[in-house]
Amino acid sequence: MSIDWITVTAQIVNFLILVWLLKRFLYQPVIRAMDRREQQIASQLDEAQAREQKAEIKAQEYQVMVIELERTRDNILAETHAKAEQQKRQLLDEARREVNETREHWQRQFQLEKDEILSNTRSLIANTVQSIARNALADLADIELEEQIIASFINRLNSLDQQSQTLLQKTSRQSSEPVRITSTFRLDSATRKRLTHAIHANLADGIEIEYYESAELLCGIALTAGEGQLSWNLADYIYKLNQDVEQAISLDTQPGTEKE
Amino acid sequence: MTISPDNIIFWQWGAVSLNATIAYTWLVMALLTLISWLVTRRISSGTTISRWQNLLEVLVAGIRDQIQEVSHQQPGKYLPFVGTLFLFIAMANLLNVVPGYMAPTGSLSTTTALAICVFAAVPIYGIAYEGPLNYLAHYVKPTLLMLPFNIIGEISRTIALAVRLYGNIMSGTVIVAILLSLTPYFFPVVMQLLGLLTGMIQAYIFAILAMVYIASATSAHTEKQGSTGNGN
Repeated sequence: MSIDWITVTAQIVNFLILVWLLKRFLYQPVIRAMDRREQQIASQLDEAQAREQKAEIKAQEYQVMVIELERTRDNILAETHAKAEQQKRQLLDEARREVNETREHWQRQFQLEKDEILSNTRSLIANTVQSIARNALADLADIELEEQIIASFINRLNSLDQQSQTLLQKTSRQSSEPVRITSTFRLDSATRKRLTHAIHANLADGIEIEYYESAELLCGIALTAGEGQLSWNLADYIYKLNQDVEQAISLDTQPGTEKE
Repeated sequence: MTISPDNIIFWQWGAVSLNATIAYTWLVMALLTLISWLVTRRISSGTTISRWQNLLEVLVAGIRDQIQEVSHQQPGKYLPFVGTLFLFIAMANLLNVVPGYMAPTGSLSTTTALAICVFAAVPIYGIAYEGPLNYLAHYVKPTLLMLPFNIIGEISRTIALAVRLYGNIMSGTVIVAILLSLTPYFFPVVMQLLGLLTGMIQAYIFAILAMVYIASATSAHTEKQGSTGNGN
């Protein structure tokens, strides 16, 4: 255990040289590198933080945009919905109106056709009945039938109820014209006398009477006193027949029975 | 039996002689410098680094952390001195496993040289930190009476520092030498391994104690540690 002071001195120098060498080749480069790395990492972290903040701001912007878009979409949807509803209602109304118009048109058409058919039927029936009647009357046309008609007419005149009789009397008195007897066949003087007698007896004594012939009555005889009238006429029966037929057709084609 | 490498003379020219202590010190210095230069000439400050650079960074960062922990100060100005103490002693002891090599730290001359360096470094750092008057005022605290004791303490701890390192390393060598003659083959190897461990611990203790002394001189806040009686 001895100390060699020369060696000690040399070792001190050696150590100081080593301190310098290591400072030069080890500590400084390593610490510089570590500091640079720390700075890099710090700057990268800062950058990342800045980017994150930017991204967050962007995300918020996008969120706002999304909300805005959703609201706009909802508005557009609602608007479109309302428009569609309105258009639907409009179309429905139009369709309904068209249907109504078509129906009315159809009903009018139907009414017209019905009227036409009725008119045709009426005239057909009338013609048929007339032709039947004419044929029948042509076959039967003799004094006896005319007598029967006259008898029927006189009988009707005689059996008038009080009200009808009063009415006829009243109208004959008020009229300035004479009482008209219209017949489809020619009346001989005896018949005219009988008729005149019956009229005088039932309406008013001494009333003036004129006699006419007309084919319009079809077959029969009619009394006209002013506005009052009394007749026995085949046309009345035909007219009543027409009415009955018309009523029957009307019942079959009531509008209420149609399906919409 | 040769105990001190001081006595092994490799080359002599008149009064100038090259003994094993200086020669192996140069070897250790050369190795440390070479490794540092090889690694740091291609140093990278990026995130991918070589294994050797990683090793050096771990070492340097570890030493810095230790210095900071002990001194509670920025480690920058202490790192070259304290770090070199640790690396030199550690490397010198580590090479003990190489046959034929004798650790320069096994020479009392080397450990005395290192202790003298610490002895000088303490006031240098202290004066640099506080100024000469403030530093010298520590020696008369708490009273002037304490001046001789403080000086004695300063010197004694320096001697203790030198002798502790020397004793530990030399004893390792001596134990191995004795065991080799008693029980060859296996047991000396175990002792060699134990010697490696002891060498590392001594390197750590030497560097840390040096730092503690320097810190006690530079910072009033740091408690005076480093009672010299706690070594192995």
